[in-house]
Amino acid sequence: MGFLDNSGDIILDAVLTDTGRMRLAKGDGSFKVSKFALGDDEIDYGLYDKNNTNGSAYYDLTILQTPVLEAFTNNMSSMKSRLLTVNQNDLLYLPVVKLFTQSGLGSAQNSDGFFIIPVDKSTVETGFGDFLGAGLLNGYRPSDDPARIEVQQGLDTNELPKEDPLNDQLVETQYIVQIDNRLGQIFPSADNAGAVTNTNAASNTQLSPASFAFLDDDGIANYYFVGGNSGRGYVNNLGATEASSILGPRGTKMSFRIGASLELRNSQYLFDQLGTVGSATIANSATSGKALAPATNAYKFIDTNIRVSGVSTGYSIDIPVRFVKLT
Amino acid sequence: MASSFKTIEPKDIVSTRNLLHEAIPITGTIVSGTYADNNIKNYSHGMFQSVYDYPYLSSSANHIVDLTCGYSSVSGLSGAASDQNAKKINIYNEMAQVLAGFDESGNVRRFDEDGDLSGGTKINEAYIINFTRLLSKDEIKKGSFTLELGVAQNYITPFTERIKLTDASGSTGYKVNSPAGEYGILFAADSAGTPMEVDNRPAGLLFYQAGIAVVSSSVFSGQSAGKAHSNGKGIGLLVQSASMNETHENISAVLTGSAISSSCAEFRHRLYNLSFNNTTELNSTIYFCRASHNDFNYSANPTYLSSSKITVKNNATDSPVSFATTVGLYSADNELLAVAKLSEPLKKDPSNEFTLRVRLDY
Repeated sequence: MGFLDNSGDIILDAVLTDTGRMRLAKGDGSFKVSKFALGDDEIDYGLYDKNNTNGSAYYDLTILQTPVLEAFTNNMSSMKSRLLTVNQNDLLYLPVVKLFTQSGLGSAQNSDGFFIIPVDKSTVETGFGDFLGAGLLNGYRPSDDPARIEVQQGLDTNELPKEDPLNDQLVETQYIVQIDNRLGQIFPSADNAGAVTNTNAASNTQLSPASFAFLDDDGIANYYFVGGNSGRGYVNNLGATEASSILGPRGTKMSFRIGASLELRNSQYLFDQLGTVGSATIANSATSGKALAPATNAYKFIDTNIRVSGVSTGYSIDIPVRFVKLT
Repeated sequence: MASSFKTIEPKDIVSTRNLLHEAIPITGTIVSGTYADNNIKNYSHGMFQSVYDYPYLSSSANHIVDLTCGYSSVSGLSGAASDQNAKKINIYNEMAQVLAGFDESGNVRRFDEDGDLSGGTKINEAYIINFTRLLSKDEIKKGSFTLELGVAQNYITPFTERIKLTDASGSTGYKVNSPAGEYGILFAADSAGTPMEVDNRPAGLLFYQAGIAVVSSSVFSGQSAGKAHSNGKGIGLLVQSASMNETHENISAVLTGSAISSSCAEFRHRLYNLSFNNTTELNSTIYFCRASHNDFNYSANPTYLSSSKITVKNNATDSPVSFATTVGLYSADNELLAVAKLSEPLKKDPSNEFTLRVRLDY
């Protein structure tokens, strides 16, 4: 995309997104604009010179010269960060959404910085054995495995005590999770967690996946989770005494697991199309588990991101995951 | 509760309609020689030929116009001995039934010289120029059409004498009795030299929405052309007939003795210039996105925070400030349907308000 001409008056370059065109083409009335948001993807607020000695007129001089890109038509590529309305002008802190990665609690990433998801029975059992350690999510039987992905929301600062309550306006109660529907589905993390000792035990209860709200034209599934969603505990309050990545006052947490899609479980097709042949051993921190070594178990993997966004606060993070399958 | 969305009220949505015009100039040499006819595609069926703006085997080529010719079965040119006689009649009838329609008895109407279907002179022999939708878009702008033809008697130097066909009265004097929409009368006048017997004679029809020009073959005929022609006087519009090929045949001889493709090639040989304005009808929906003083003053941009502390503030009492570069239009379930980009960042703080007018064209 080029930059927009910013030499004259402010102009607007408006386009339908690919999803918008799809909704129009459907002709079922699903193309209905009902709200708007403002985005600032190009802005680096680090350039705001709030201490400029020449005065406030100079604070934003650099930011206002930021070139703005033409509009992307891909709905996932735009509006990654949105402006926020809060009915209080005296806030000094805003909450963030942060990945909870504390080891030993089932939500840590693998040592490679990914959540590794073996997609089928063979990859789980032959590759990693009966026990999956930190950062290994069981994509074949998601409820067998205590590991989960958890994001937490709050003020990530040492300057405020974590026991302080978070301003009601800043508590996130609703999350959107976006995942490529060709690759995986969202499952609840509630909760066989502590009870499971053997991840492949046939007796383990399997929970049903969540239902997505809509699927966009690129096959990206959008899931909505609110507090107490379906009784499965996707969204819960984050208590001051809980283990947390959030340093200051806390809002909510959102946790889930990922199940591999049928396509990934039963076919090599997407791994051939999108994947890469694995060349490194994938560690398994479970003491009685196995590591997946390409020398003995050739595998392919697909890297993707899962995006979790707060609906009210607009903050979002991309979580890298790696789907793995023996070839 | 914090929010990053704002509802668009029904009163903030307006629909409008605008007409957009583009100038379409076609230099005659493009259709008659620049590309040594590598931009001309002929078909085995021989019913018409296609003209491209570049050799048509190239992916850069755009299809711009189709040319064909034909005559009515009642034309003096119609006869078993005429080359492609049936096809020329079929072409005429096809175009006539689409553009002129049928009479009360169900017979195909012939093209009428002045658009008065109750009688008068008919155009029985015609060249038909079908502009592609790429050029004509929704319609040809009325009053903008000009077709300049070289009509000198000499085949080798056809452009020393020229006539110009225009729909000059089209903006006010068009007809609405065609099943294919509105049409105007093309009038011929001298453009270079004085080749015409009488200036400003009807010489064809221009169908605006269909993007089709029907040009009477009388534009190449002289007064003594001999055979019946479409100006209703049994003669052509010119003082002297133009030689349509190297063997000095007149238009009647070409239309009877040559195939459609050859007849069209001779027409292209005499096409000097063609221009018109097209029209695109833009239906727009305008969304007024109103940001009031207490809206959108903070940001969820990761650079907005450093350890959760707002980077644009030193103290809590400082005014929050944010910079918008994008407007996103969403469905009720937060699906991003349209995006509008500002050409430069727009500052938002509690001391200002703005309304962004986002227009979507269909």
